[in-house]
Amino acid sequence: MIISSAKPFEEILELLEGEDDIFIMGCNACAAKLHVGGEPEVINMKQRLERAGKHVAGWMIPSAACSVASFDALVEKNPALKEAKVILVMACGSGVSTVSRVTDLPVYPSNNTDSLGGRLHGEVLPELCAMCGNCTVYYFGGICPRGQCPKQLINGPCGGSVDGKCETDAAKDCVWERIYLRLERMGRLDLLEKIWECEESTG
Amino acid sequence: MPRAFKDKLLSDDFLVTAEITPPKGTDLSGALEDAEILRGLADALNVTDNQRAVMRMSPLAVSRALLDRGHDVIMQLTCRDRNRLALQSDVLAAYSLGVRNICVMSGDHTTKGDHPRAKPVFDIDSVQLLGALRKMKEGFDLSGNNIGGLPGMTVGAVSNADPSKPLQMLKLRKKIRMGAEFVQTQAVYDTGRFEVFMEQISDLDVPVIAGVIPLRSVKMARFMNGNIPGINVPQEMIECMENADDPGREGLSICAQTIRDLRGLCRGVHVMPIGKHSRTPELLEMAGIRKG
Repeated sequence: MIISSAKPFEEILELLEGEDDIFIMGCNACAAKLHVGGEPEVINMKQRLERAGKHVAGWMIPSAACSVASFDALVEKNPALKEAKVILVMACGSGVSTVSRVTDLPVYPSNNTDSLGGRLHGEVLPELCAMCGNCTVYYFGGICPRGQCPKQLINGPCGGSVDGKCETDAAKDCVWERIYLRLERMGRLDLLEKIWECEESTG
Repeated sequence: MPRAFKDKLLSDDFLVTAEITPPKGTDLSGALEDAEILRGLADALNVTDNQRAVMRMSPLAVSRALLDRGHDVIMQLTCRDRNRLALQSDVLAAYSLGVRNICVMSGDHTTKGDHPRAKPVFDIDSVQLLGALRKMKEGFDLSGNNIGGLPGMTVGAVSNADPSKPLQMLKLRKKIRMGAEFVQTQAVYDTGRFEVFMEQISDLDVPVIAGVIPLRSVKMARFMNGNIPGINVPQEMIECMENADDPGREGLSICAQTIRDLRGLCRGVHVMPIGKHSRTPELLEMAGIRKG
């Protein structure tokens, strides 16, 4: 899941200064689950924009803003899109970018994209994955140090943690403590012995 | 010609290293005066690298200035501010300027320093940097291109000295497996705990130089315990500081005793006073250490 969060409404109004006939496009994937791009949020955005004096041409919630088929396919779902002068996408950066590829209309983001994460029992879990392109999370008990350690250390913790807390944030557990406890429970502390050398290749 | 730090590591000498902080600005005189205090007392001077993520003059320039004045230096190199290109490039630069000892570390996070919005690099970690340096010593860069080697280069690493932290111990072992030729530790106050630390790594053939920071006040002792990772100031030391008429002198006396205790446990001490080295000669005198 791509973790995104809503920009302050004032910032969105600033982005849309001088623009009108706005079409709002939500996203029924991650953004809907995170309550920053589902139907209630899209309708709320429409009302707030209208209260701010903007004309909203229409809205829709594609199943995923990052995998729209074509502009025509979107128009088929809601012909009001044809009348729009700008599109406000309530999704992550991938959604905004994909929608931008099917139209020459200005496409504005309502969200900031934060990280690749997840959600469990209603709790948002940010920064689970650093998208390094070489997944080794198994070696760390399913807890990726590249994604979660602020120094991206993969050979063990730095010397900066105090009482198991992160050097950068005393409220946050050092990810290496969590990895250790998990692997200890799994009886696989041996996985920590592996030295991750710096790999480099040319050509 | 005085013996090089590398040769001293191979000897039976009890070594003294000390920290020199590069200037915030272009005036080297303060750092050079601090080094001058240590002439004949320290075997090598560690030149810190934007320590605590506070921007200062590059240790490259300070190392060269110290070498020009006849000091042996250990240049510190952190992974925080440079990617693998810059790290290797600075190692080559250091070598060409005469630096023959490098001590590597991850580095404090940028958010802890005076430019908290700086991008933290951490392209490779300290274990990987040790691997890169080993490769460079063999004559190759990380991509396998020939660079001609770094003859006579000695590479060290740092560690906390807390045997109750298995992950810290594990990482230290990785550093030694990747070629660390000496280890400098975080400040030691509890020599009993340090002895356990040394026992835990007794199978490893690596010289350990224990860090010491003289206490200056009760407040400082308490602060260290709660805020500085890997440090444990024993309660009785804090009480001694509380009862002292001259806490500065008492701190030196405690530190001197620590150094005497460490003599039988490890290969040397690394002196990191808060501020200047003005009282380091007095400390070493009290500890019964004489050089030259």
